[in-house]
Amino acid sequence: MIRRRDHKVPGGKLLRVEVEIESGLVRRALVRGDFFAHPEEAFEAAEAGFVDIPVELVEETALSLFSKPPLRLFGATPADIAQALGEAADETQAP
Amino acid sequence: MKLRLLDSGARGALPGALNMAIDEALLGSVSRGESPPVLRLYRWSPPCVTVGYFQSLEAEVDLDACRASGVDAVRRLTGGGAVFHDDEITYSIVLPLGHELAPDDILESYRLICSGLIGGLGLLGVDARFEPINDIAAGGKKVSGNAQTRRQGCLLQHGTILLDLSPERMFSLLKVPAEKLKGKLVEEVKARVTSLRALLGRAVSYAEAAEALSNGCSSAWSAELEPLRLSSAEEAEARRLSAERFSSPEWNHRR
Repeated sequence: MIRRRDHKVPGGKLLRVEVEIESGLVRRALVRGDFFAHPEEAFEAAEAGFVDIPVELVEETALSLFSKPPLRLFGATPADIAQALGEAADETQAP
Repeated sequence: MKLRLLDSGARGALPGALNMAIDEALLGSVSRGESPPVLRLYRWSPPCVTVGYFQSLEAEVDLDACRASGVDAVRRLTGGGAVFHDDEITYSIVLPLGHELAPDDILESYRLICSGLIGGLGLLGVDARFEPINDIAAGGKKVSGNAQTRRQGCLLQHGTILLDLSPERMFSLLKVPAEKLKGKLVEEVKARVTSLRALLGRAVSYAEAAEALSNGCSSAWSAELEPLRLSSAEEAEARRLSAERFSSPEWNHRR
């Protein structure tokens, strides 16, 4: 099942996240939006690390993946991304 | 401080893919030490919607509406949001990291680079100020948006200053959550965004804005600007990047 969530970050940027969930695991995650992250490839590498993560570990994993140097975020923090992905993966909420 | 000044717009407006490709070609030149730090000024023809690196072109832009009205759509190298480039002056600046305008602190580098644009706006009679994190505002409204990336040991920042504003046209090209919201969004943009025409009550030409911006940057940054055209190698690289990257579905529909 693919679940999407738009999450407004304090300061105004919009995170548009998408997670694919199967049997309690997040198979993949996609984080789109009008934020800044450089080098951009490091952001995509962090995203690509999001494979088969138990739903309950989504936020913790996101925090760790999106905080790794040399990646630098601007306009959104790793905690914002973790929160957005956590909300998307939370099956108790409407998709 | 010495900066190379490249006024691409003086010779005419360029398509979006080529504009983005020239910025990337300049990034390569500065990165390899083949060019001094460079400030470029340019404009767009046909009009073009760009989206930020991390946005989905498909989700943000009404591609059918763009095709029908002859508007290009291109993904940028930089993050940030969707922008409709029409009646505006655009700049880009490429600096080696560690340059006095490119400190490690990202917000500070936006502030320093924007101080040049604010100086240029001042010369036109507009009292503007930096609006964190990446905008410039005048009269309480946004008049300029800016986007930065850092790669290959360099900082590339580009941004726009609106000469005129047409939110109706802009929203006819962007996807909105619901058609009935369009009117509300147009009103919001009118309340939040402004242009040199609105601020000064007269039309400002590209040439007038380009002169003010280069003088404003030179003075705010204590920089000597040396006009220098695109080299033939840079032009060839830009043509290649325009065709192979910025015109390709693989790039534009990457996310």
